[in-house]
Amino acid sequence: MEGQLNSRYVELNMGPQHPSTHGVLRLKLLLDGETVKNVEPVIGYLHRNAEKICELDYYCDSLIYFDRMDYVAAMNMEVGYLEAAEKLLAIEPPERVKWIRVIMAELNRLASHLVWAGAFGLDLGMITPFFYFFEEREKILNLFTEICGSRQETNYMSIGGVYQDFNDKIIFKIKQFLKQFPKKMEGAYSLFIKNDIFLSRTKGIGILEPEVALSYGVTGPMLRASGVPYDVRKDAPYLVYDKLNFDIPISKGKDVLARCIVRFEEMRQSVKILNQALDKIPDGPYFNPKAKKSLMIRLRGEGDVYARTESPKGEFGVHLVGDGTVKPYRLHVRSPAFKNLSVLPFLSRDVLIADMVAISGSIDLVFGEVDR
Amino acid sequence: MPYEVKEEAGKDGRKIFLIQKENFLELMTDLRKQGYDHLSLITAVDFRDRIELVYHLQKSASNFELLTVRTVTYDSTIDSVTSIWESANWDEREQYDMMGVVFRGHPNLKRILLPEGWVGYPLRKDYDLSKNQYVNMDDEGNDRVSFDPGDGW
Repeated sequence: MEGQLNSRYVELNMGPQHPSTHGVLRLKLLLDGETVKNVEPVIGYLHRNAEKICELDYYCDSLIYFDRMDYVAAMNMEVGYLEAAEKLLAIEPPERVKWIRVIMAELNRLASHLVWAGAFGLDLGMITPFFYFFEEREKILNLFTEICGSRQETNYMSIGGVYQDFNDKIIFKIKQFLKQFPKKMEGAYSLFIKNDIFLSRTKGIGILEPEVALSYGVTGPMLRASGVPYDVRKDAPYLVYDKLNFDIPISKGKDVLARCIVRFEEMRQSVKILNQALDKIPDGPYFNPKAKKSLMIRLRGEGDVYARTESPKGEFGVHLVGDGTVKPYRLHVRSPAFKNLSVLPFLSRDVLIADMVAISGSIDLVFGEVDR
Repeated sequence: MPYEVKEEAGKDGRKIFLIQKENFLELMTDLRKQGYDHLSLITAVDFRDRIELVYHLQKSASNFELLTVRTVTYDSTIDSVTSIWESANWDEREQYDMMGVVFRGHPNLKRILLPEGWVGYPLRKDYDLSKNQYVNMDDEGNDRVSFDPGDGW
C-alpha cells in the first residue's frame, strides 16, 4: 500500500497520548472505513535504557530501576531481579524473607490486576467499575505505605532480605483487608460479567489460538486464556510457591472475555495464597547478615544466570551476567508486556477500531515495562 | 547430527547448548522440531572483541523446561530465526537496536525502541555516554535525531 495513492485506505495515527492506549503507545492504523487493515505499534516513548543504567551501578542500586519498570507491580519486579541477583551473588535469603516476599508479590498482583480491570472498563466505556477497583487498590497501597513507607515504587526488598520486618499489626491489617476484599471484588466483577454490553463487546473478539500465542512468545494471563497452563509459579517454583496450595486458572475461550475471566480467577487464587502464607509465615531474621548494608556495595558476582518469575503480565525474566566486579556486566530483562504487545498486529487484522481498543486493553500494557 | 553441540550446565543448573555460528540455524530448526515451541528471550552480550548471543527456549509439552542456546559472532551478524518463531521478530529488532547485531533474513530489521537515525548502539561497551542526542519530530511526523541541543524539546 505504501507509496501508492489509494483512496480506499486511510492512515490514522492513534496515540501516543490517547487515553485508551494505556500510556505512550502510538498505533499507526491503516483503515478501510472503520475496519482496521493493519496496525503498526510504535513504542519507545518511555525508553530510559534501564539495562545500561544498571550496568553502571552496584548490584544493590539496580533495584530501583526495576520498581519503575512495571510501576503498578513494583514488588513483582523486585522479586524478579532479586531471584537473579541472589543466584549470581550466592546469597540465600532467610526463610521468613521468602514468605514476606510471596505476600508482598501477591498483594501487588492483586493491585496490578485491579488497575487493569479499572482501565479495561474505561476502554469499553464503563466508568463505574473503575472507582470500585481503585478503592480496593488504594487499600493495598495504604498497606504498602505502612510496611515500606511508599505507595507504588516501594523499593522494599533488598539483596538477601527486606527493608523492614513484618509485625503482628501488619499481619492483622492484611488479614482484615483480605476478609472484605472478595466480596467487594465480586461485586465489581458482576458489573462486568452480568452486563450484556460488556459481554457483546468482549465475547469472540481477538481470538488467539494457543499455537500462535506460543509462537509469539505470549505469556501470563493471555497465554492461559488461550488454554496453555503455563505459570512459572507452578512450572518452575521460586520462593516458597511449591509449599502453597493454589490452582492455575485457564480458559478455553481464547478471546478478550476469557482473558478477563482468567485475571479475576487469578485474583481469587492470590487471595487463597495470601491467606495460607499469612498463617504459615515463620519467625526468624529478615535479612541475610552476609548482605547487610555496609557490605552491600562490595558484593561481587561472576558467571551468568537467568531467573524467571511470574509477574502479573506474564513471565518476567532477568538475564544477569557478572564479570567478578561490583557491577553487573550485562543485564537483560524479558518484559512480558513487550512480547504480549507484539501479537497485537496479528490480533487486530480486520476488526473494528472499537474492538481493537478492547483487544489492546485485554493485553494489560504498562509502558514502563514495554519500553524499559 | 551433522554438527557438533557442546553441552554444559549453567551456574544455576540450566542446560546450555554451545553451537558454532555456522550450524546455528540448523540446530534451531532441529530444536523446533523437537518441541521447543516457545522462544522466550534473545539476549546479546558484548565482550568487546565478540558478541555472544543467548537464546532461551522452552518446551510447552514438558512444563516449559528451559534450554539456553549460546553462540558467538565476531562480525556482529547472525542468521535470523524469525522463520521459526514469530516472537524473534521484535526480540531481534531490539537486539539490533541496542547491540547492533545484524540478523540476516529478518523481514523488517529496524530500530524498535530508539528512533530511526540514532547514532550508535547504547548497550555496546564502547558507546559514548558523554554525547547527548536530541530527538524532535519533523513536519511529516517522523523522528529526527541530532546532536544539537537547540533541536531538542
